[in-house]
Amino acid sequence: MADSSSTTKIVLESNEGARIDVERIVAERSVLIKNLIDDLGEEAVLAEPIPIPNVNTAVLRKVIDWCKYHKNDAAQSADDDNDNRKKTTDIDEWDQKFMQVDQEMLFEIILAANYLDIKQLLDVGCKTVANMIKGKSPEEIRKTFNITNDFTPEEEEQIRRENEWAEDR
Amino acid sequence: MGASLTSPRAVHETLHKAVSFNAAHLLGEDLYKLLNEYLAQHLTGLVEESKSHTEEALLAFYIREWNRYTNAAKYIHHIFGYLNRHWVKREMDEGKKSVYDVYTLHLVKWRDVLFHQVVHKVMDSVLKLVEKHRNGETIEYNQIKLVVDSFISLGLDENDSHKPTLNVYRFHFEKPFLEATKVFYTNESKQFLAENSVVEFMKKAEARLEEEENRVQLYLIGDIIIQLKKACNQVLIEDHSNLLRDEFQVLLDNDREEDMARMYSLLSRIAGGLDPLRAKFENHVRKAGLAAVAKVASDADKLEPKVYVDALLEIHTQYQGLVKRAFNDEAEFTRSLDNACREFVNRNEVCKSGSNKSPELLAKYTDILLRKSSTGVEDGALEETLAQIMTVFKYIEDKDVFQKFYSRMLARRLVHSNSSSDDAETSMISKLKEACGFEYTSKLQRMFQDMQISKDLNTGFKGHVQASIEGKNLDSTYSVLGTGFWPLTAPGTNFNPPEEIAQDCERFTRFYKHKHDGRKLTWLWQLCKGDIKANYVRNAKMPYTFSVSVYQMAILLLFNEKLQNTYEEIAQTTQLNSESLDPALLVCLKAKVLTCDSGAKVGPGNTYSLNLDFKNKKYRVNLNVGMKSETKQEEAETNKTIEEDRKLLLQSAIVRIMKARKKMKHQQLVSETINQIRSRFVPKVADIKKCIEILLDKEYLERLEDDELGYLA
Repeated sequence: MADSSSTTKIVLESNEGARIDVERIVAERSVLIKNLIDDLGEEAVLAEPIPIPNVNTAVLRKVIDWCKYHKNDAAQSADDDNDNRKKTTDIDEWDQKFMQVDQEMLFEIILAANYLDIKQLLDVGCKTVANMIKGKSPEEIRKTFNITNDFTPEEEEQIRRENEWAEDR
Repeated sequence: MGASLTSPRAVHETLHKAVSFNAAHLLGEDLYKLLNEYLAQHLTGLVEESKSHTEEALLAFYIREWNRYTNAAKYIHHIFGYLNRHWVKREMDEGKKSVYDVYTLHLVKWRDVLFHQVVHKVMDSVLKLVEKHRNGETIEYNQIKLVVDSFISLGLDENDSHKPTLNVYRFHFEKPFLEATKVFYTNESKQFLAENSVVEFMKKAEARLEEEENRVQLYLIGDIIIQLKKACNQVLIEDHSNLLRDEFQVLLDNDREEDMARMYSLLSRIAGGLDPLRAKFENHVRKAGLAAVAKVASDADKLEPKVYVDALLEIHTQYQGLVKRAFNDEAEFTRSLDNACREFVNRNEVCKSGSNKSPELLAKYTDILLRKSSTGVEDGALEETLAQIMTVFKYIEDKDVFQKFYSRMLARRLVHSNSSSDDAETSMISKLKEACGFEYTSKLQRMFQDMQISKDLNTGFKGHVQASIEGKNLDSTYSVLGTGFWPLTAPGTNFNPPEEIAQDCERFTRFYKHKHDGRKLTWLWQLCKGDIKANYVRNAKMPYTFSVSVYQMAILLLFNEKLQNTYEEIAQTTQLNSESLDPALLVCLKAKVLTCDSGAKVGPGNTYSLNLDFKNKKYRVNLNVGMKSETKQEEAETNKTIEEDRKLLLQSAIVRIMKARKKMKHQQLVSETINQIRSRFVPKVADIKKCIEILLDKEYLERLEDDELGYLA
């Protein structure tokens, strides 16, 4: 795609009706939006804002921030570095800082990334959650995510036995 | 989803909202089901609509709807992106076969609902269109291309929907297309042949084949080309191959090179198509060769070697040209040509009396070419002619016969030093060496060496004579020829050399023996020659010079003593027997150097006198002319030695084989011997058996059990 068109501004509209201008190249980090632009053609897209009905204003702004920072990243190909991407929980510094938000925001970002089809952002979010779980006991995890324990002590004992092999000794 | 379909934007917005909303709240399965149902409904509608169209209109309809449908499928695929990424992916990961991503779902539905209902009608229209095209009408071939593309897109792999296969295309397009092609061309060629000649038909077939290839590029996919070619070849060529082949003989007879090339290229397309052609070609060339020989062979005895060889060459050149131009210089055809040539070179009218005739005539022709001042062939032309001789030589089976004659003639050329050029001789020998190996030419090369050595020897001898001068010298040259390498034998008569040369010979013998102790020199008087000056002739402004054989020299020198000699006196002094004396004397009489008192008669009881009034236009008179009978005799002799040599050659081959194998079955030994000897001549089995018997008698071999032979060291 030509450079001139990649800087064209398009308008996104959150579910609260807020309109946000973004460069096309930034918006196209979302595969959903990219397909939409490709299908409809640029003119149609410029004429009206694109509604993003599942995302609120705050989250949309946050996601756009991420997209702006990563706008020139090489588009991740679907399969080749899949293994690497899945195995490591390393997150680069900027993304770590970006993810220092309250838990509710974190989950909203993950949902938005999933909906908008931004694979890398989805990965970063999930890794952040994974890091929050890593090295914690079940009790600590429950505390972190505010989960009530609905197992009976018998059930708990049985699960522990079944997973004994995985215990870190 | 009942939104009006006026603006794509509106559709997109509506669907997008609905889908996104639904995706979040509805179960994916319901959505997928609804989409599925909607597509089925849409396509059923299309099927109904299609029924009102036929032929080209139907094609147009099919293509229009296909384009619309697949375009929409692309959009819908994106709109349903969320469904694809989650519900569909999960279902597929779980191994559900009947769930596809949204785009593929479109194709599957098209195939299942619409395609099977309309494909026959569509194909009928396509084939009608193609037939029109074949009949020379202009058609909208883009339509066909699009239909083909659509068929290909519908080829979905059941296991992996992303991998396209050609099965739909193959079954629904390729098969009927090929069938229609066959029917069309079967009918056409039948009709065409009924009205036109085979030659015309070949032109037609060639054009049609080319047309079909272009057709593939125009609106089919390259994949079909092999199948299509096969189909066309089948109905256009193979079904008529017998007819074509029958025509081949006619073309050959009439020398229709272009048509033969056409036939070659047609028949080369089908398996085994050319074999009968090759057989016919071989047969034809053989016949042509035999006919050419028969034409020149009206009188085999007086046949000029050049005429004969030229006749052979003409046929070879003609058909080699044909192979090159019409048959693509193909190896198989060259082999047929070779077979035919071998056949007519070795077994023809001239060879009826004996298979030795061909090599003999060839060797003679070579001799004529290489002899000095024969016809004054230029160097370049000579080299070319020699190359042609090698072409014929290649086909000769009895190469040993050629060798015999060649070496005899080479010997004569060398001894009489009337070879046209050393370069040409060497070139010929190296050609033979190339064709038959070192062994074949080793004797010939030795002969050359001997001549070279003799040259040095003569220089040495001259120096020696000058140093120890005693009286007047003869200007003499000697050639020392190794026994065994030269096909020469000692003279069949006694000879008492005249005093004048006896001295010099004596001196040379001493000189030579001094250099090479223990070697035996045998004088080959029959090959010696010299010049003598006749100072006695009255009325001659200048003395005549006679070139004479040494026998004649001995005779003429007798007349230095007295002017008349009787036959008996001559015989007595020279010691020559009548076979050698008579011809030598006869030439002198015929040339009127000598006169006889009782007419020109040779024999006892005659008296000869020197003709003091000798007259000739030239001052140099050659009296050393070989008698016709002499060469005839030589030929017969050569032929006789060939049989002997063959026996030896066979025996040595047998011994070589047995030495290597130690034990061998009789039958095997015979065939192995044939193999080894074939490059020289074609041995008869009976001869081999005879030679084995001889070797058994000589105790080189022994009989073992079970028909086996053993080698005795």
